[in-house]
Amino acid sequence: MLQVRDLTLRYPNGKLALSRFNIAVSAGELVIVLGGNGSGKTTLLRCVTRTLMPTEGEVRVNGTDLAPLRGERLRRARLELAMISQHASLVRRRSVLANVATGALGRLGGAWTALGGLPTSELAAAHGHLAEVGLAHLAHQRAGTLSGGQAQRVAIARALAQRPRVLLADEPVASLDPEAAEEIMRLLRRLAAEENLAVLCVLHQVELAYKYADRVVGIREGVMAFDLPQAELSRETVRQLYLSEAA
Amino acid sequence: MSEATAPVAWDPRPPGGALAAAKRIGIGLILVLIIAQALIVVEARPQDLITGVHGMADIIRRAVPPDFSKFGSELWPALETIDIAIFGTVVGVILAIPLAVLAASNVSPSRPVYYVARSIIGFCRAVPDLVWALFFVTAVGLGPFPGGLALAVHSIGMLGRLFAETIEQMDMAPIDALALTGARRIQIFTHGVVPSVLPSLLGISLYRLDENIRSSLVLGFVGAGGIGFQLLTAMNLFQYQEVSLLLIITFVIVQAAERLSAILREKIS
Repeated sequence: MLQVRDLTLRYPNGKLALSRFNIAVSAGELVIVLGGNGSGKTTLLRCVTRTLMPTEGEVRVNGTDLAPLRGERLRRARLELAMISQHASLVRRRSVLANVATGALGRLGGAWTALGGLPTSELAAAHGHLAEVGLAHLAHQRAGTLSGGQAQRVAIARALAQRPRVLLADEPVASLDPEAAEEIMRLLRRLAAEENLAVLCVLHQVELAYKYADRVVGIREGVMAFDLPQAELSRETVRQLYLSEAA
Repeated sequence: MSEATAPVAWDPRPPGGALAAAKRIGIGLILVLIIAQALIVVEARPQDLITGVHGMADIIRRAVPPDFSKFGSELWPALETIDIAIFGTVVGVILAIPLAVLAASNVSPSRPVYYVARSIIGFCRAVPDLVWALFFVTAVGLGPFPGGLALAVHSIGMLGRLFAETIEQMDMAPIDALALTGARRIQIFTHGVVPSVLPSLLGISLYRLDENIRSSLVLGFVGAGGIGFQLLTAMNLFQYQEVSLLLIITFVIVQAAERLSAILREKIS
């Protein structure tokens, strides 16, 4: 579903942020990327979403290469990719339901949505997505009143409203307490399986990677250090990843 | 493991030593000089206030009691004053919003557009509302309409800047998140930018209405309608009891507007 080939990003100052990075995530699979601070994890996701323009390489989503696309073609291709980040990034003064329904905006045209309206059918679908993340009872509450864990679940529901094939998550549990973090990871695990989503998740919590990942990818200084099924990932391999970062 | 650091003894002297003290004295002297030159330029003569006490007392004596028999006939100019402010604020808000969007660096479509919008806003603000009123009185004649136009144009300048700053200071994370869903620019604006900044814009607009009510009282002095025109006429005719009635009405309008604006702003926030 998601195929990244030889992805390279060199900044104008010559610094190599990603070097010939390869990764593939299939439908229904949850792949977790581990690595120290500044290792290139977030840069990888930003290149995949094309928020950053890679210097070389391919980012194929369902067969379409996003790397060379521009403008409207890029916008359309990006509809297949949904992204959640460390902070839920909800519009605080809007209702939870409206926030979720805005995930569908990319698929919707017309004057009504341009004027700030949302179709009833999308609001109903948004309610369904809220139910999927267990927050249907908060649909009409303001997003600004939610706890961190609830807000992150709403962000996931918004991503589902987009009807993506690939879900990218950039440290989605970084600002959550352990219980809320487990809840989010369980949810991502379930969505990968039930919605047949390809989930690529950047994490700092090694234990969560052991518990929830199908595969774990290590990244160090923009280069892939390992790509292993979770069952084959040894403690020593992970220790070496962070040790070499610290050195 | 944290690194061991050598203990630093506490020094009661302020940091920077003699140079910093000299700087502070220099700044103090500059402030004193600025205030002194202002006193000289405005020809401040406190003794004139003492010698003028008799004149002021005479005006106050002739102004009491207020002439309440004219209360009914002053209601229309009072309403006119409020309506000039409402017209000026509403038109100002309607025109300031699109200009502010173009003048906010984080959402403006391009740098040239940004500079043009900022220049228009700056010009509207730089010219005082009283000067705009003189201009519009010449253009469309005497009455409340030029007053409303003057406040509208000046409000574009004041509101445009504040609206643009509000948009620039908003949290961009929800906007970026919407962009990543594939939403179009106009959808990002109406679904992300507008709901994020609307309460602040409403609060600023209400504050502007409060300010415009005060300004519209003065605009009558140059023929732009409202209670100011009545005030000027009464003063020119030495009708001080009518002047005191008009001042009471003015006070009530300003206080009521201020209170109402504060209550509404509190509800919005």
